[in-house]
Amino acid sequence: MSSDNQPQTADAQTTQEARMGGGTDNRFNSKLRNAFGSSPFILTKFDSFMNWVRGSSMFMLQFGIACCSIEMMHTYAVKHDLDRFGSGVPRASPRQADVIIVPGTIVSKFAPRMKRVYDQMPEPKFVVSMGSCTISGGPFQKGYNVVKGAEEVIPVDIHVPGCPPRPEALIYGVAKLQERISEGESAPVTVKPYELQQFGDLERDELVDELADEIDRDTLVMRYNWNDSP
Amino acid sequence: MSLERPTDRSDAVGVTEEGLDYDALADLLGDSVVSREQHRHTEAFTIRPDEVQDVLFALRDQAGFDHCSNVTAQEYEDRFETVYNLKKYVDPTQELSVVVPTSKDNPVSQSAEPVYRTADWHEREAYDLVGIQYEDHPDMRRILLPETWKGHPMGLDYNQEKPQIVTLEAHANPLEDDEHDAGADTMYLNIGPHHPATHGVLHIETVLDGEQVAHVEPDIGYLHRCEEQMAQQGTYRHEIMPYPDRWDYVSAGILNEWAYARTAEELTDLDVPDYAQVIRTMSAELCRIAAHMLAVGTFALDVYGEFTATFMYAFRDREVVENILEDLTGQRLMFNYLRLGGVAWDLPEPREDFFEKVRDFLDGLPHKLDEYHDLLTSNEIFQLRCANTGVLDAETAKQYGATGPVARASGVDYDIRRDDPYGYYPELDWDVVTAEEGDNYARVLCRLQEVEESARIIDQCVDLLEDWPEDDREIQSNVPRTLRPDDDAEIYRAVEGAKGELGIYIRSDGTDKPARFKIRSPAFSNLQTLPEIAVGEYVPDLIASLASLDIVLGEVDR
Amino acid sequence: MSVSEIVFQAGNATNGSGAANATNASAAGGGQTFPEILSGLLGLGPNPDPGLQFLFAIVGATLIAVLFLTIAAVGGIWGKRKITAAFTDRIAVNRVGPFGLLIIVADAVRLLSKEVIIPDAVDRPAFDIAPMVLPFSALLGFAVIPLGSGLQLADPETGFVFVFAASSLASLGLLMSGYSSNNKYSFLGGLRALAQNLAYEIPLVVTGASVVLFTGTLKLSEVVAVQSQPLLTIGGLTIPSWFAFVNPFAFVLFLIANLAEVGRNPFDTPEAPGELVAGYMTEYSGAYFVLLYLGEFLHIFLGGAIVATLFLGGPAGPVLPGLVWMVIKILAVYLFTQWMRSAMPRVRIDQMIEIGWKGLLVMSFANLVLTAILVGVIA
Repeated sequence: MSSDNQPQTADAQTTQEARMGGGTDNRFNSKLRNAFGSSPFILTKFDSFMNWVRGSSMFMLQFGIACCSIEMMHTYAVKHDLDRFGSGVPRASPRQADVIIVPGTIVSKFAPRMKRVYDQMPEPKFVVSMGSCTISGGPFQKGYNVVKGAEEVIPVDIHVPGCPPRPEALIYGVAKLQERISEGESAPVTVKPYELQQFGDLERDELVDELADEIDRDTLVMRYNWNDSP
Repeated sequence: MSLERPTDRSDAVGVTEEGLDYDALADLLGDSVVSREQHRHTEAFTIRPDEVQDVLFALRDQAGFDHCSNVTAQEYEDRFETVYNLKKYVDPTQELSVVVPTSKDNPVSQSAEPVYRTADWHEREAYDLVGIQYEDHPDMRRILLPETWKGHPMGLDYNQEKPQIVTLEAHANPLEDDEHDAGADTMYLNIGPHHPATHGVLHIETVLDGEQVAHVEPDIGYLHRCEEQMAQQGTYRHEIMPYPDRWDYVSAGILNEWAYARTAEELTDLDVPDYAQVIRTMSAELCRIAAHMLAVGTFALDVYGEFTATFMYAFRDREVVENILEDLTGQRLMFNYLRLGGVAWDLPEPREDFFEKVRDFLDGLPHKLDEYHDLLTSNEIFQLRCANTGVLDAETAKQYGATGPVARASGVDYDIRRDDPYGYYPELDWDVVTAEEGDNYARVLCRLQEVEESARIIDQCVDLLEDWPEDDREIQSNVPRTLRPDDDAEIYRAVEGAKGELGIYIRSDGTDKPARFKIRSPAFSNLQTLPEIAVGEYVPDLIASLASLDIVLGEVDR
Repeated sequence: MSVSEIVFQAGNATNGSGAANATNASAAGGGQTFPEILSGLLGLGPNPDPGLQFLFAIVGATLIAVLFLTIAAVGGIWGKRKITAAFTDRIAVNRVGPFGLLIIVADAVRLLSKEVIIPDAVDRPAFDIAPMVLPFSALLGFAVIPLGSGLQLADPETGFVFVFAASSLASLGLLMSGYSSNNKYSFLGGLRALAQNLAYEIPLVVTGASVVLFTGTLKLSEVVAVQSQPLLTIGGLTIPSWFAFVNPFAFVLFLIANLAEVGRNPFDTPEAPGELVAGYMTEYSGAYFVLLYLGEFLHIFLGGAIVATLFLGGPAGPVLPGLVWMVIKILAVYLFTQWMRSAMPRVRIDQMIEIGWKGLLVMSFANLVLTAILVGVIA
């Protein structure tokens, strides 16, 4: 195997290039990669195997919030049986879950708790937001106490619209999530409090490093100004 | 178990053959009554804020008003007001409103908590949302909103645009401050808000003595999604009706819609055609079956462990009910089917297919119920677990304003469908299910028997609908495009929801939107009994008791 | 006829050749342990030098461990879902591979590849050791179980005692995991597990002892051999004297105590999903969780193996090889636990202790005394 780090030809555009733009991502600089070349066969195959693994089997977090959780239970139960897709094992402890389905309206008192539950899940973790409330606040958008969507609090991979979505819709959402994972895609992580425009010249990783130093527990605040949110 | 209403306590003050004699009640209270006014459903006495307890004690002990059904707080331009809607468990048609105004600059009122324990949470909610202070209240804290919240959102001058900023430090960290005193033998345990047994996002602060529960305090508000504000921003005719579906969201939607429909129809003097009443009755009872199935299924979940057979069977049967309701309303869960003055549309065509589907379900139901009795109620271990645990006696149930299956399983014979009739219920033949024991077992058994009664009602409704003459199928009466009830009309009406008395208080201000819309949720009151029934039990029974109360957080927090 | 004669005859009946023959590799089992057979196969004789003995022991242990880890993977990941689904009118995994079988690979690899979270303020060595104690205590128990087809790692005189000692090591693991997790649910779960194991270990062993009264030996291979005696013959069909038939009362007692020992419904109080979140394993993630999960299933299989050995004739059975019969019997017991899990409510912890100390203990002693009298009368 030769170690050429150049893209081979201009027209041979891989999916990765199409998605991420040309050039090599200089973060992939492990010794193994340097020794075996930029797209080593074994690592690629192993990557796609791992993607298949993560996409084929997932433990869900047993997590109910509001109306949608009723339809979520129906999805687990007899007729719809989410377990057919290898994702019907609800675990009560976030430590053992891969996917959190956010089924319902998030309000100011619950938002920090939900963030905490999400933080307790081990990587890699995925989020399916179920229902209109987790997209935008849904019918309760104008409420003084309602968070305008799950994305205000945690990054979301798949949105399933509906009020509530039918079990079929949730199954479709989960299947889509599995498809995305097994194709190696992951959702861009948007974390609201960081205003990305201000740091436009920094790379994503540097930005996080930069900001990590600036976080001061005394000054860290949580804003409940859900009205101004997009 | 009977449709006969229990005999009235005739020795109570003000009870006459024709109904309540409000003059006698006013005499009883003497000078305490500042003024009297007429609400739509009853008469209201206005009293001084420092005489609340005296008045309410007199009304409870001498006039027999043992049910504090609802407490509404509201802000006027010139005053704050607390409205206590009192009722009697023996006869909920005997009602009385007690209005307690307080001044703007010193909104302090005496607490009703010593008289009715249920006022505890109601007044905390009033403080939280409107900002009235209650003297003598044992625990005046916010209940629905975070402790750090600034302002009282249902008040007139609340600015919703102003961001609520909370420092991280101020967030209550569930892991801090929970170490027990050095000398004590107890352990503090947070159950929820994310816990498999809390049926949503309830937080129970528990103090354990070994495995036994020494102290329980439910902490609610994790699903407070401003339902009352939503309703106050909507017009009577169309914009409010979708929201009731989301209060008690376990498929009990039509029961909730009916609560709003009944209140608003009485407020605006709308008639409902008989045909629509029959459809309402039928669909509401279908909802009740679905809701009780879920209650039984999740109870099994908590007693059995993981997703076991009973849970799955309950969901299989709910699936059938939801299919029928979907045929009728077009939605599986959030029906939005009732309209003021009737229902949205007629039964689906072809009608025969629909009737056949309902009848198939009803025919299969006895067999399925036998299955539940096999798996659940006749199981030795289940009986061992549930009988004599979580006992709620009738007097305590009344004190806490418990209603629905929770109260009926404690021997409180109270069912609004029979006692304060509405819809087509008075014409039908069915029974009110009661039990005496008041334990977890009785509550589950009560629900299963109520499913049977609901099936009887549906069966009769289907008979009626099948024979209904074709030219008389009027689904809606003539309703004005915009409904504008009279200025300053106040009304409180309730229906029998899946969890109990679901009431709504509306004050109109002459516009097409309500000025105050207060929901009296049965689960809110029922949940208050949790400390009574769970303290002294073991942790597993705390979980089972909570499940047997069958709360829905959407309705508790609204 | 004395007990030892029975044993001797039984030995003859199963082995044909009777005494152990070092060079005869076809002699399956019968006084020979698996490492000895291995060494015999390679022509090194029954007792090569200690280094080689150790090597063969390791090879044998690995083989058996792999066998049961595989069964645990199939039964614990795929079988559990399918069985539960069958009880609840569902289908369960069917998209990944034939009958969803590839879910085993996917689940195992995924769980192993997940992040291992070590929460703040956990008791570090205990937190790390606990997930290892649990599966290894179960695997240790398999060392002395005669699995049929010559698969028995060791056959000490005290095999019966060893297997119970090894399996009750699990309580230690449960307590460690519960106590070290710095989580109150884990803590409650760990203490419950300990109380439960204490209460049910005694009836379990005492009931097992009633079998020993029949056999007169603690050596498990001989316990199995005794059971191959015909009990009675009905119409040409010989029913062997499995202790489940000889003493059904003891069998039922043992099954119940075993359910409590492995923590399955109606005795799944230590884990108690719904009450204690996930009990002692609440804080474990990734590979640690896999180990605990595996350990739980291995314990069910060890319980099944003990039941099979003491009451169901061990690896005995017609046509199929002994190992296959053993696995079938183990899986039958596993199926029984899953059935219980799907259909039985969980008892409360105080009721469970009460059943253990006041019910099972008394009955197991009564059973022991009765058996002693019975054996005395027959003898």
